[in-house]
Amino acid sequence: MLAKLRQRDYQILIAFIIVAAILAFWRPHVLISGLQRGSLYVLIALPVGIIYGILGILNLAHGEFMMLGAFFAFSLVTLTGIDPLIAMLPAFPAMFVVGIVTYRLTIKHVVRAPLNQFLLTFGLAVMLAEMANLIWTTRPRIVWVPYAASSATIGPITFGTFEFVYVAAAAIVLVGMFLFLTRTRAGLAAMAVGQNPRGAKLVGIDVERTYMMIFSACLAVLGPIGALFLIRHAIFPEVGGPFSLRAVSIVAMAGFGNLPGILVWGIGLGLAEAFVRSFRGWGGWADIIFFGMIILVVFYRSYQRRVR
Amino acid sequence: MKKGILLIAVALLLASSLVAVGCPRPVLEEPPVEPIRLGAVNPLGDITGRQSAQGMKLAVAEINAAGGILGRPLELIVMDDEFSPAVGAAAIEKLATVHEVDIFIGGMASGVHLAQIPILAKHGRVTVWIGAASHLVEAAIAALPDHDWYFHLHPWDYQQVEGTVEGWAAIVEKFPQIRLDRMFVAYEEGAFGAAGFAISRALFADVTIEGESFTSAVFGGGDFRAVLRHAKEFNPDAFVWVGFDPDALGMMVQAKEIGFAPPVFLGTPPGWPVGFGEIPLSEAVWLYGMWSPELKGVSPEAAHFWWAFIEKFGEEPATYFAPLGYVNVKFVAAGIERAGTLERGPLIEALREVRFEDTAVGWPLTIAPSRLIRHQGFTRQMILQWQGGRQEVIWPFEVATAEPIFPFPRWEDR
Repeated sequence: MLAKLRQRDYQILIAFIIVAAILAFWRPHVLISGLQRGSLYVLIALPVGIIYGILGILNLAHGEFMMLGAFFAFSLVTLTGIDPLIAMLPAFPAMFVVGIVTYRLTIKHVVRAPLNQFLLTFGLAVMLAEMANLIWTTRPRIVWVPYAASSATIGPITFGTFEFVYVAAAAIVLVGMFLFLTRTRAGLAAMAVGQNPRGAKLVGIDVERTYMMIFSACLAVLGPIGALFLIRHAIFPEVGGPFSLRAVSIVAMAGFGNLPGILVWGIGLGLAEAFVRSFRGWGGWADIIFFGMIILVVFYRSYQRRVR
Repeated sequence: MKKGILLIAVALLLASSLVAVGCPRPVLEEPPVEPIRLGAVNPLGDITGRQSAQGMKLAVAEINAAGGILGRPLELIVMDDEFSPAVGAAAIEKLATVHEVDIFIGGMASGVHLAQIPILAKHGRVTVWIGAASHLVEAAIAALPDHDWYFHLHPWDYQQVEGTVEGWAAIVEKFPQIRLDRMFVAYEEGAFGAAGFAISRALFADVTIEGESFTSAVFGGGDFRAVLRHAKEFNPDAFVWVGFDPDALGMMVQAKEIGFAPPVFLGTPPGWPVGFGEIPLSEAVWLYGMWSPELKGVSPEAAHFWWAFIEKFGEEPATYFAPLGYVNVKFVAAGIERAGTLERGPLIEALREVRFEDTAVGWPLTIAPSRLIRHQGFTRQMILQWQGGRQEVIWPFEVATAEPIFPFPRWEDR
């Protein structure tokens, strides 16, 4: 998988490793919280990257679908008393069905219409948030599991351990997606469709079905992600919006379709945020740094294109 | 022939006179009684606005069941402002021109209300507002050439802080083990948090205060570990976070995981997540509020409201805007009854004189001038504490429902 990293990503990865080594000695809590938070960003951004890479759709309702997955898990937890980690299992097929229905009713009709895609997915985002508002109201909902606040102490540093689950989950999703796309017939077909849908159709691949399966699978992943998110966060109808923005931004920074780049940039942004916040009184700059880095990367790419 | 016609005519006359005597005379229907129209504007998509409207409906139902006011029923027309200044202003215009309401009530967000003030001033009808706590709203009202028609029941933001300063002074005096020499304020970086921090610094002049902003979970934040570490390094007597409802869980969980348990742990969100009181991390967290469900144990009006609300709507009041909406209508009704008319001058005079010894929010209500306007209702908020899943009132002592838990229990003891 590392062989797929672009040269630029390699350089960034090496830079991150150096930064991480420095942080580990200088500000270890920055390294821990940056890695944990960055992994959450990666986890949420990966399906956006896949959907864009294969369908060519930038899903602005991505965070809202995660919110839906979280509310589904919340409802299961409160109705049946099961643990949110167990609620991840039914959340996967439930969101897969949501994906199929959404694709057939809406996405299918705008696959080759970029402007309409934006309008449609934006409309879906608003509709999903309002629907959640009608069902669950605007009051935030929480679940409590003691392990959500578990911690460990190493020397003078006490830190939370649960969010390492995000690190593991991001790695599992990334490797899983990679293996699916490179080692399975369906995945290879999806890659072919993503690169050249007309050519794929000519060799007998059902392009329409491939689109639907990829879109639905990416939404299905958001079910368990929503359940994981629920363990540490209050959920409410508008909770997904900011994560849509972050996910799309990370995908844009990594370069559309570049999954390892999403890992590198997601964790990099998490570390940058945590680093800025670690200086007292500078926390307000975290978002400026986050989006400032995106602007710099976009400018740099634009400059490179002109030079070439 | 002529004789026959005459006999028939006499017989018809006799018959008609008998009918007239023996049957009740047809009653002319009286014109329908014109209702007194109250026009409310609330954000109905939010629980605060929805339950506020429910509180109003409950009060209207009770008043109409008792015969109305001045022999006329109350009619409540509620419009949604969608938390949008433009929509909120248009709602006032429609209530004034299409529905021809007699009095404006309701309200929530200050930003929305700032856009409504010019429309309200244009129509100049009596307005009794229960939202919009910002001092900017007060300044906007005071800047009008005439604002006698305007009554504001919710405390202004500076009054809320003044109230808490007064409350903490009383608590520290009564419970000397509680100290407030060093305070750390973590505030969300928007206007709500920044204003809260600025006002705290100004009013807690004798306290050493440090503060730092954070990004609220409402705006995609929720990572409070850095600010909590800084607070822990400061070693405060009291840690205060000024944020929104979705920040509550993250704040407690992350404080626990870094082992930060200051003697006083206080949160000031406008509301709390559903079920927050049931999690063990909430125990002994202090909070501010206009109302608590536990007041039903000490206030007959609060108890009446609590049970009537549940009976009518099948759900518990979850926000103080529910009883405040109820008080809104009861206050207006008392004013109209006292004035005996809907004429503006006498009605304003009468509203100014309305006094409630007890209300659904558990406080007495009287009208007095605030810093800038003539008609201000409530001026304080309570200091409460989560205890056993309930919001117990610690101060004011006259409506206290429990003694404070101090210091904040260690995380390992929960």
